[in-house]
Amino acid sequence: MNLSALPGLTAGDFKDRVRRPVYLVVLLAAVGLGYLAVPPADGRWVILALGEYRGTYNSAYVGVATALAGALWLTLGGFYVVRKGIARDEETRVGQILAATPVRTALFLASKFLSSFLALASMLGVLAATALAMQLVRGEDRGIDLVALLKPFLVMALPLLALTAAAAVLFETVPVLRGGVGNVIWFFVALVVGIGGQSSSAPLGGLGVGRATDSMRAALTEELGKGGDRAFSLGLTQVAEPLTPFRWDGFELGGGFLASRLLIVVIAVALALLPALWFGRFDPSRARRGDAARVPAEDEADAGSLAGADAPGPAVPVYRPAPTAALTLPKTATESGGTFGRLLAGEVRILVGGVSPWWWVVAAALTVTGFAVPGDLVTGLVLPAVWIWPVLIWSRLGSQQVEHGMEGLLGAYPAVRRRLLAEWGSGVVLTAVLGVAPLIRMALAADVPGLAAWLAGVLFIPSLAMLLGVVCRTHRVFQAVYLPIWYLVVNKVAAVDFMGAVRDAGAPTGPTPLFYAAALLMLGAAFLAAETRRNLSA
Amino acid sequence: MLELIDITKVYKGGKRAVDGLSMTLGHGMVGLLGPNGAGKSSLMRIISTVTRPTSGTLRYEGTDLTADPNAIRRHLGYLPQDFGVYPHLTSREFLAYLAAAKGLSARSAKARIEELLELVNLTEAVKRPLRAYSGGMLRRVGIAQALLGDPRVIVVDEPTAGLDPEERVRFRNLLSDLSADRVVMLSTHIVSDVESVASDIAVMAGGRLLRRGAPEELMGDLKGRVWEILVDPSTVSAVQSHYVVSRMIRTSAGVRLRVLSAQPPVGDATQVAPDLEDAYLGVIRGAADRRSDDRPAVRR
Repeated sequence: MNLSALPGLTAGDFKDRVRRPVYLVVLLAAVGLGYLAVPPADGRWVILALGEYRGTYNSAYVGVATALAGALWLTLGGFYVVRKGIARDEETRVGQILAATPVRTALFLASKFLSSFLALASMLGVLAATALAMQLVRGEDRGIDLVALLKPFLVMALPLLALTAAAAVLFETVPVLRGGVGNVIWFFVALVVGIGGQSSSAPLGGLGVGRATDSMRAALTEELGKGGDRAFSLGLTQVAEPLTPFRWDGFELGGGFLASRLLIVVIAVALALLPALWFGRFDPSRARRGDAARVPAEDEADAGSLAGADAPGPAVPVYRPAPTAALTLPKTATESGGTFGRLLAGEVRILVGGVSPWWWVVAAALTVTGFAVPGDLVTGLVLPAVWIWPVLIWSRLGSQQVEHGMEGLLGAYPAVRRRLLAEWGSGVVLTAVLGVAPLIRMALAADVPGLAAWLAGVLFIPSLAMLLGVVCRTHRVFQAVYLPIWYLVVNKVAAVDFMGAVRDAGAPTGPTPLFYAAALLMLGAAFLAAETRRNLSA
Repeated sequence: MLELIDITKVYKGGKRAVDGLSMTLGHGMVGLLGPNGAGKSSLMRIISTVTRPTSGTLRYEGTDLTADPNAIRRHLGYLPQDFGVYPHLTSREFLAYLAAAKGLSARSAKARIEELLELVNLTEAVKRPLRAYSGGMLRRVGIAQALLGDPRVIVVDEPTAGLDPEERVRFRNLLSDLSADRVVMLSTHIVSDVESVASDIAVMAGGRLLRRGAPEELMGDLKGRVWEILVDPSTVSAVQSHYVVSRMIRTSAGVRLRVLSAQPPVGDATQVAPDLEDAYLGVIRGAADRRSDDRPAVRR
């Protein structure tokens, strides 16, 4: 295989990825994470801890804490950034141009893998710089040991990012995983990797954390004299009291450890290249029928009678052009009238357009279940279920115009705010319809706080989706943000319970008024962002 | 009447897409011609209120559209060069949505959509989702949406791209009919698209309006300056380096060239009547030559 094209392909794709707003959003989140990973001495949260202890903030400890937090975040959030590299080539038709070049399929996939990996690695680089800054800011140990600081980034985080980049390529080449289903599946895959990977017995060392924790426990035991075998925890956790620092100067790399990390990278490369066996090189005749329609500036001539049933590609309806003479201008006079109802109906159609009948079957089954189960399960089980099921549909809110290339056309239409409100309204309608069973059950039980929380959810979810869709111009960010929030609610974290699912003695314990305010603020921000973007792009 | 007064559009990075352009458009069709990158699409977006000019004024019937773009949107039909659709809607649903966005009452929207679907010859395909439409069919949906609100101003950017020859003729005739009592602006780089329907032609390059006039006026500029010559294939590049060549046909006797030149390029050159393509090239190349040096307009 001639590899000379690889650097050029990779560089082009990398630049395209990092110039997208979503890259910046995830990058900023990574910097924020770098801050969270090194809390102040009196901080009541922690990301990495051994029982009630944490390491002194030297290069080794700050490096490990930040690298592991970064690995977890970039495995999840980073995946959504580097997705769609191949889909974008298909949408822009660059793929067809590339397909007609001598570039081999494996080389093309390798370039996609490498550019994804580089995009994630660049975020990790920023995170490493944040770690260095945080070590200096916290000031517990200002001695900079770059090797100790960077080692965990290289041996723990990078192999996982390689795996993430490979998964992004693999998911894009498997039809069922290309869309939102793949996004949801990856959320749970990342969850399994993040939680299961902390175990020392995880395949290939999992996150690679075992070596560091063994070394930390040994250091703690040495410092305390005994009892250093505390429970290791990784993940944002609230603590009642600030943790006690102990001295830890890093871990040694062993040959076996390095080999297992290297093996992860090899597996990642293999996974990324595997689709060469089936990848269709942008052949439209192998494209899915649901792909978005778009009129390019110079499209092929109209497939009229020339494009019959024998023509390759998706079936195109054949039409018979009317005689040139049969030209009658419309005679109906145009009258103005009330339009919001029709706009809302149109937005609902657009929002749920193309949804599989099976989706509706499951939605109906969930609704029936909502009427059948005992009262406590309605809010604890059915409500979270019905409000995760439409996640892929909600994620269309705010970004549909962009993703369907409608901005140019609608830019010349009046009633911008009314259309935006109707789009949000369609999300509200969908959320309410899906949550109708819990609504009725709570109404029958006179559960007023529950009803108030339900309404907060109905307003909060579409507002969040609208804001993220308008700002980030992609459906993926909502999916990446909503799923963790929902996961926390399911895990009974009351602070983020926007729907009234977390209960104490039958009453919702979440900050319901806060979610009303958040919904209003986010809706207002979405309007403002749309207006600002419109002015800027004009 | 639509007035463009000293319109300038400068994009981020300093690219000046439209540069101090002024023109007035009354009822009738103006064909806007220009090479790729001339600023045609930017100008069309400005007229259709999608893009705000960096400076200058756009006025319709006395109303300043740069300050109040909504004043025209209800009465504007805009067909961009490149546009998308919601793929899961049918053409009828798509047009119904856009009619609501335009502010049309339910009754008039329903009747008008049916008329338009018939006009663009899509009645047989109305039940299919737009994702199943060909490029040309989608273009016709675009044409239909541009006519939804019975627009007084119609702005169409490269409207015939993707249409088959018959539909292309049909659409040109439609625009011609519409232009009787409306402002119609048709942008294209296909000279034949405007040749047969536009009574008023504007030629644009480098963001500036180079020439405006009736086709006869533009062609009149080149009267006595268009020649046909037959040359040996080996001399074609030498001729091209000295003259603007508007057409080239290889024949068994040699290569027949159509050349723009103030003087006969060779001794046995035959003078021919200029057509609009010659006139267009004359304007464009003349402007380029004037920018580079002061050589005669039709000679390189």
